Amino acid sequence: MYKLMLVLLAVTALSGCTTTEIDEFRQGTTSLNAGESIVILGRRQNNNYETEGNFVECVANVVGGGNDGINVVPEQEFLDAMFPFFEPRTAPMRTTHLKQLMEIDQAKERLAQYGIEYIVWLDGLTQRSQQAGTISCTIGPGGGGCFGFGTWQDDSNFEAEVWDLDTLESVGSISTDAVGQSYMPALVVPIPLIARVEANACSGLGNQLKQFIDGKG
Amino acid sequence: MLAGCSATTIVVDGSYPSPLVRKLPLTIGVYYPEELRNFAYTEIDDNSGKDQYIVQSGTSQLELFNTVLPALFENVVMLDSLDSLNTASSENGIDAVFVPEIAEFQLGLPQKTKLKVYEIWMKYNMKLSKANGDYIADWVMTAYGKSPQENLQSVDSGVQGAAVVAMRDLAASLTLGFTTVPEVNEWLKANNYVTE
Repeated sequence: MYKLMLVLLAVTALSGCTTTEIDEFRQGTTSLNAGESIVILGRRQNNNYETEGNFVECVANVVGGGNDGINVVPEQEFLDAMFPFFEPRTAPMRTTHLKQLMEIDQAKERLAQYGIEYIVWLDGLTQRSQQAGTISCTIGPGGGGCFGFGTWQDDSNFEAEVWDLDTLESVGSISTDAVGQSYMPALVVPIPLIARVEANACSGLGNQLKQFIDGKG
Repeated sequence: MLAGCSATTIVVDGSYPSPLVRKLPLTIGVYYPEELRNFAYTEIDDNSGKDQYIVQSGTSQLELFNTVLPALFENVVMLDSLDSLNTASSENGIDAVFVPEIAEFQLGLPQKTKLKVYEIWMKYNMKLSKANGDYIADWVMTAYGKSPQENLQSVDSGVQGAAVVAMRDLAASLTLGFTTVPEVNEWLKANNYVTE
């Protein structure tokens, strides 16, 4: 029993091996009044990757959660409501494109209907590297099991750029870099000790973004 | 075992939002060729040479055009055939006839491309003619969609995701690009349907 508790303690300690770095760059003042909202969109123009919808949703949940939650319009609802202006081919890439978009009456009216004050563009991905070790599993008449050891490093690198729809300018950006090492020893059964890198990146970025929009960060 | 020998059929099923654009003051007759209505793409297994996947997108393509065209034009008249054009034109006051044709379809699967995405690329030949059949414009449009490969995701789900993105890409291009096709723009201006 004592040994089992030691193992569980070690598992808990080792599974939290993630370091997260958050940087903020502010270019203008921000604030949100009652009834106003923001939308968080993932960048999907890159050929090699696209910002995962799950991560965008995670950040939106963090920003919208808690007693100080901000009203966040769901990404897909916004994309459908503003169709065809925010598709990968047509989405504004710079604030100059945003100015051109706001000259289209239908687009401007729809944004006003939703009370959108800020558009947040999320860009980035999680990459896996430094994979090492092997795990072998066998099964036979007498039973089965896995033996070995595996390890890998995950690096979540994301940037959030905030556009102000009043000034039609960028008011700042927040970047997050979360790195974590995961382990998978296998002693008959694999014991996953997974570093929650992307979850930590989401939580850190979301909370910092909430403070930024509120004008506190 | 036997189920693994036949090709897997994937029926593209998506819903498309109505574009947020100002309608052109036109009555458009639309004819969908048989090849578009029943379009199906077959992916061949490189090793066995047998059919591996059949992607049926005809119904979804019609749904796409039936959403986009009524948002783009004031009136849309569906034509069962181009033979009935004269009758339909006199009854409905058709200004022009639009015929979309799918010219090419390509599918990229992660297991073949070694990329972690499903990709679809489509090429269309769009034709616009006057109600009497005289040529106005004939132009090519391409559409591209990709969907990231996720853990435990089925091929069906990945292909669906890429197909819907590609269809939305086509809809966006058609909606925003229709009046910028040079011959179309010239015809619209000559008939005072647009001023710029």
